Amino acid sequence: MIKETATWLVAFAVTLILQTSFVPVISIAGIKPDLLLVALFFFSIRYGVMPGIFVGFFLGLGQDLYSPSLLGQNAFAATVTGALTGLFNERMMRTDPLIKAVLLLVAFIVHDALFLIVQVIRLGDPVSAIFSGLVLHTLPRAIYSIAFASLWYVWDVMVKPLARK
Amino acid sequence: MQWIIRFFVSHRNISSLLAVSIISLWMVSSSQMQQQHVARLLTITIFYPFQFYFNQTTRVKNIFAENRRLKEQIASLSVKVAQLTETTRENERLTDLLGISRQFSFTLVPARVVARDPSYVSRSAIVNVGAADGILPYMPVMTSVGVAGKVVQVMNRMSLVQLLIDPANRTSVMIGRTREVGILETTNGSDFYIMFRAHADVGVGDTLVTSGLGGIYPKGLLAGTVTKLEENRDPIFKKAFVKPEADFDRMEEVFVIKMSPQWAAFKEEIDSLEAPK
Repeated sequence: MIKETATWLVAFAVTLILQTSFVPVISIAGIKPDLLLVALFFFSIRYGVMPGIFVGFFLGLGQDLYSPSLLGQNAFAATVTGALTGLFNERMMRTDPLIKAVLLLVAFIVHDALFLIVQVIRLGDPVSAIFSGLVLHTLPRAIYSIAFASLWYVWDVMVKPLARK
Repeated sequence: MQWIIRFFVSHRNISSLLAVSIISLWMVSSSQMQQQHVARLLTITIFYPFQFYFNQTTRVKNIFAENRRLKEQIASLSVKVAQLTETTRENERLTDLLGISRQFSFTLVPARVVARDPSYVSRSAIVNVGAADGILPYMPVMTSVGVAGKVVQVMNRMSLVQLLIDPANRTSVMIGRTREVGILETTNGSDFYIMFRAHADVGVGDTLVTSGLGGIYPKGLLAGTVTKLEENRDPIFKKAFVKPEADFDRMEEVFVIKMSPQWAAFKEEIDSLEAPK
């Protein structure tokens, strides 16, 4: 248990470092993969709703600390996303990679939709900003992130068993 | 109250989500100043321990680097100190060998020439410093360029200076280049000469300095320059004509060198020898 917790803590720390240092380098036309959200997704579907809520909250809060004017916005979006993805707990249902990819896409849409809704309420932006944001920003970001997540899948399902053999 | 707790326990997922969402939305709805305050508080709380340990590690790393740098500096300075100590010892040895006094300094008292001897060739001058200024008989007097004479009589606020142009004033000098010693003298107050041995190494243009052997002038004061040599008239001596450095016709300011004659310590013995029995 302790070992597992430590492994996840290290994984989140490494993800946070990569998100702030490596990800900006590989951005394509301003579109960057969100590794933190990917990590939250995999954590939540493994451990369920409750851990998903708290880890989502603290990861979101960590992102908010980079820009204090957004304080709470990422935390709220990541909390709800963690809770929702936690509903698809691996221990209770088996999901194949394709469904996981679709769930990850939904997680991205939920996360960004909540983020944009809060932003629209807060700043008084038009509601159309939510839809344009989802189409122009969230979808490319989600696809790029899913491509990254598939690398994780390739490692976890294909390379690791071969290495064990 | 109990039913509330029971509700939260039985619906802990929903309750946790609500609680955390409320906290998040409270942060969103708070003012910008509050947000910055909370962010700063959280940053300090979360990151301070990591920052502290990171700083400590950096500090230790810096201390190691500084320690290494200081060791290198100490090694370098030790070599320099050893070299300087050796040079100092060598300097002391050479100074002792040459017999040079380590402390050669004296005070100059500036004085104005207030009167000249009214004779055709002024052989002495009166300056405006005297016993009140610490002036004593036989103190050397110089101009800004070279030796001028010596104090022969002291009053309270004035002193009489016997200039080099007085035929009675004879000064021990030497050639700066070859260290040949001779007596600088004059018979008429305008032509100065020195009688050297015939084989002495003296040339036109040689500079003359006081030899310090006469007991009055310190060694090394500039006295004049050799202008002409007369070698063939005498098989034993040759005569070197000298132009004094000091311009006695236009002498307005002088300096009295505040030093006792070297024979002052034996003055009583000398006086007792000279006194009629």
